[in-house]
Amino acid sequence: MATTTIQGGTVGSQIGRSLPRLEAREKVSGRAEYTHNLSLPGMLHAKIFRSTIAHGRIKSIDVSAAKKVPGVHRVVTIEDIKTVIPNPYYGPAFHDQPILAHEKVRFVGEPVAVVLAADPHVAEQAVQEITAEYEELPAVYDEIEALDSKVYVHEELKPAGTFADLKHLTGRKQTNVALDFKLRRGDVEKGFAEAAHVFEHTFRTQKVLHLAFEPFVSIGDAKRDAVTIYTSSQGPSFVRTEIARLLGLPENRVRIRVPYLGGGYGSKLYIKLEALVTALSLLTRRPVKISLTMEECFYQITKHPCTFRIKSGVDKDGKIIARKCEVFWNGGAYADVGPRVTQKSGFTASGPYDIEHVHVDSYALYTNLTPAGALRGFGIPQLVWSYESHTDMIARALKIDPVEFRRKNILKKGARQATGTPVNDAPLEAILERIAARLAWGKPIDRGSGPVKRGRGLAIAIKAVIAPTTSVAVLNVTADGSPILYCGTIDMGQGSDTAMAQIVGEILNVPAESVRVVPRDTDVTPYDMGTLGSRSLFHMGHAVRIAAEECRAKIAALRKELGEPEGSNTPVGDLFKKKYGMQAGNIVGSGSYKPDYIPPQPGTGMTTNVAPFWMVAGAGTEVEVDTETGKVDVTRLINVVDCGKPINPKIVETQISGATLMQLGFTMFEKMHIDGGQVTNASLADYKIPGILDVPAVMENEAIDTVQPNGPFGAKGVGETATFCCGPAIANAIDDACGVRITELPLNAETVYRALRALENQPLEDE
Amino acid sequence: MTPFDLVEPTSLKEALGLLDADDPAVRPLGGGTALMLMMKAGVFRPTRLVSLRKVGGMSGIKAGADGSLTIGAMTPLAALEHSAEVARAAPVITRTMRRLSNVRVRNVATVGGALAHGDPHMDLPPVLIALGASVTAVGPNGERTLKVEDLLTGYYETALEKNELISSVTIPAQGARRAAYIKFTAGSAEDWPAVGVAVSVEAAGDTLKSATVVASAATTKATRLASAEAALAGARVDDKALRAAGDAGAQEADIISDVRGSAAYKRELIRVHVGRAVRQALGDSALAANGAH
Amino acid sequence: MNISGEITVAAPRAAVFDKLKDAPFFASCVDGVKDLKEVDSTHYDAVLETKVAYMKFSFKVSVEITNLSPPDTIEAKVEGTPIGVVGRLTATSRTHLTDSGGQTVIAYSIDSTLAGKLGSIGQPVLKAKAKEMEKKFTERLRAAFAAGETQ
Repeated sequence: MATTTIQGGTVGSQIGRSLPRLEAREKVSGRAEYTHNLSLPGMLHAKIFRSTIAHGRIKSIDVSAAKKVPGVHRVVTIEDIKTVIPNPYYGPAFHDQPILAHEKVRFVGEPVAVVLAADPHVAEQAVQEITAEYEELPAVYDEIEALDSKVYVHEELKPAGTFADLKHLTGRKQTNVALDFKLRRGDVEKGFAEAAHVFEHTFRTQKVLHLAFEPFVSIGDAKRDAVTIYTSSQGPSFVRTEIARLLGLPENRVRIRVPYLGGGYGSKLYIKLEALVTALSLLTRRPVKISLTMEECFYQITKHPCTFRIKSGVDKDGKIIARKCEVFWNGGAYADVGPRVTQKSGFTASGPYDIEHVHVDSYALYTNLTPAGALRGFGIPQLVWSYESHTDMIARALKIDPVEFRRKNILKKGARQATGTPVNDAPLEAILERIAARLAWGKPIDRGSGPVKRGRGLAIAIKAVIAPTTSVAVLNVTADGSPILYCGTIDMGQGSDTAMAQIVGEILNVPAESVRVVPRDTDVTPYDMGTLGSRSLFHMGHAVRIAAEECRAKIAALRKELGEPEGSNTPVGDLFKKKYGMQAGNIVGSGSYKPDYIPPQPGTGMTTNVAPFWMVAGAGTEVEVDTETGKVDVTRLINVVDCGKPINPKIVETQISGATLMQLGFTMFEKMHIDGGQVTNASLADYKIPGILDVPAVMENEAIDTVQPNGPFGAKGVGETATFCCGPAIANAIDDACGVRITELPLNAETVYRALRALENQPLEDE
Repeated sequence: MTPFDLVEPTSLKEALGLLDADDPAVRPLGGGTALMLMMKAGVFRPTRLVSLRKVGGMSGIKAGADGSLTIGAMTPLAALEHSAEVARAAPVITRTMRRLSNVRVRNVATVGGALAHGDPHMDLPPVLIALGASVTAVGPNGERTLKVEDLLTGYYETALEKNELISSVTIPAQGARRAAYIKFTAGSAEDWPAVGVAVSVEAAGDTLKSATVVASAATTKATRLASAEAALAGARVDDKALRAAGDAGAQEADIISDVRGSAAYKRELIRVHVGRAVRQALGDSALAANGAH
Repeated sequence: MNISGEITVAAPRAAVFDKLKDAPFFASCVDGVKDLKEVDSTHYDAVLETKVAYMKFSFKVSVEITNLSPPDTIEAKVEGTPIGVVGRLTATSRTHLTDSGGQTVIAYSIDSTLAGKLGSIGQPVLKAKAKEMEKKFTERLRAAFAAGETQ
């Protein structure tokens, strides 16, 4: 049973309508287009030969047997790639990732060679005939070990030059630290010295991954001086820029086409398969498709495991006066967007609390594992896991009620967050009270009977949306008045097309259903930074709004030009007929939006404008712990989020429940098992994600009643918000229920059981 | 996946002729749900699969006058799930079906296939052992009957010859016996169990006359726990006796560690669930609610 | 994956050491080793064929004795590739012999990693096999010494 409390808009308005998604019927009847369905004449399929060692120098690659397999068109290694792309390294923050392994392999599963054939089964068979010789090197897997290890994953750091704050790292050697973000406010040591109590804990999270329903798939079609890539990507504009750079082509010669995505969650950003299919197409002069299996997803991109050492000083009145955060992000073998995760999350590592002295060191580490990148939350869930568990532990140790403790310390309106940016339009207090009210926090609960113990817990969090980013949109009102929207936001199941159509509909005063949102095509849809970080509703929403407002103004001007009386409502199609004598012409409006932003000062992380909006979340849970088995049943899961004024309440509800259920899996049981660098559960048969039977019996999804003043129609993003608090709320509830405190995810039954036995001083033997 | 031959005989005789006593790369195919996973994982590469889909007379559920049930090997699990005869004769099967894999698998997977596959994680085999079920196997040398507990010999191993097929499963009348199966999943509810415990008991008042206790998933094959059975025979149904039976069973079982749990943890799970399964079988509603995951 | 344990055999340590360091003998205790070839005194090649029920796996392996320290330590490294599918099997083993009356306690520890497709999604099947191989090895080793093959 799920209840939702999300306020709708007024009747007749497009804003606040719980409109079913525009593409819903297409999707459920199997008619929606996905990259998987696409087949081009002459197309070759490519299958990948991958490294079986975690770290080593490539001595030789023997493709002779593979070449002889009947039906094989060609077998390719990095040496072939270099003949068409001389500098074959890519990445959004560092140009450290080669299109195929070059000189070294750095993780088990790294692509080393590719077989091309018209029949993908032939290609797959031929891959088994390839052998490679490696000079094995020692490998490093753990982020803490990587910090001081003499095993270096990369010989030198290669910042991309796209981010100014990474420039100083160019050429740095003998380190696995790709980035070190610092935030310094006040003097933590002074704070600890003055504190009445000091608490120090370490928390860890595990390696997990996105597992979108649609695995990665891209098709490259290179012509003489232009290339088209069909791909399942969340960021076609970036792909275009990066491919153009790799090929030395102007951007207008590179075209990226993206239909619907079968999910993304951050996995399909920057370059994944696009550079490889492009290079292969250049080599063969034919379209080339690579479609990964679910197993191969485990070798593509994952979430950052994290170790967070957090230390707080609390005064005699229960006020946190100092907090030191050391966060170590396990980025895997290639940086991808890890340095951004490291830096951007660093802004809020100390949590939604008003703390005088704050010290944050956030490190991006290289290790010999599958690369880690953006995953719904962008580092925030790992931080909240730590700081909200820590906060609860402090409250319990000081015998202060956990809600009261948070009340005492929470950032109030206008207070300065750790970066120095004042906190406005971040209803932390309201959400805290709402969670407490829903949990009936003041009333005692049934503590369970027999071996089953019941408890409840909560958590509260804040994120600064990534800034500054740009979105551009174009709206075309056609000859009969029907609008076409060109915007680069990718609808990957979050309903963005529907929301943007609602914004256009509101401004042009037409039903949202009448707005056509074209499939993404960089020849047509203008620049967008990417569909990530819950930014699209706000940034693209503004761009769309501005474009629609321009169209509206132009329509008004046309009315005037044609001598229409004031307040006339002649349909736009008729206006055109009047002007052109026939159904012809169009009105085009464009909008571009980039928010204000003041970059943090290097070394201190201080800025008075760190983000155009905050994302605030709270979660509350009730759990039952079977103390004889450690099994935790989350009987009630409450999420209250701040998303400003919902454009589409129904979609907002699904974003809340979807996000929290995804995080539930990461919290309760998901984990990539790794042995000697090899993932050993790389399939949905052994790596389980939440199913219908894992959904809590009671789920409550609420968007708190509020407005984001600088948001389009008072709205802002919500895609990630309900991922933040799920984990610590459950851990806090488990502690409340049976007194065990677990500081490392996941919270599976055996982990809880072992903790219970340890608490009773009867630890369970290891095996 | 490498190419293979798929043949679809229309008679049992034809099917048997297509199997090969000596070639492990030739396998019979029921619903194919389990075999597909092995093929996708690359651990099994068949040269020929002999589908039994079109062989007549291999599916159906018949209730005997004596209260027994005979189930054709190609009967899909979903048919068991929705069968009134099964609900009457062996309601533990109906309850077990609700959490057995998922509805898509149940619509396709077959009873015979489940038993012939020999995967110790499966839910149905331990239940059938607890019910005292047996299979009829047919080969080139004729028919033979064996108890399910003797059919399963090891990890993916059965007593079947490579050119033998299960044609039907028979469940004897249960009389006053009551059965339960607890599937304990340590992570997602949609996973293989870390431990499965199936029991069938006959009680007289608050004393157990006899019990059959079967552990699965944590062991290399579904296994009867003789020491637990001995501890329960003639015992009063109280916490002390149930705990003692659980302890005995936990000690006896030969347990393997895997991603779903360490051997030490699974041992504790067996210790706890023997008693819970007995209470559930006897209809103790309080513990039934706890145990029924 | 680590397998470790202890086996006690009724034979003096020196005899056990001599037997264990003899590659053909050692190979005879491991289920499925075929075509053992000596490359030199510390390097051997072999084929390891193993099956789990109806599933067959073959590996080409190279063994290197890395440490032969009488009277008590034998260490070896194994590297292999599965035949017909991309992958890699590596293992390092440490064996330590202790005198115990007239008997010898053999303490072993084997760390193995299986990479490639078999390692990524075939693990559940193969892990159970490793346990079974360990059992068989123990049986054969005991049997060899019980039969008085301690020359």
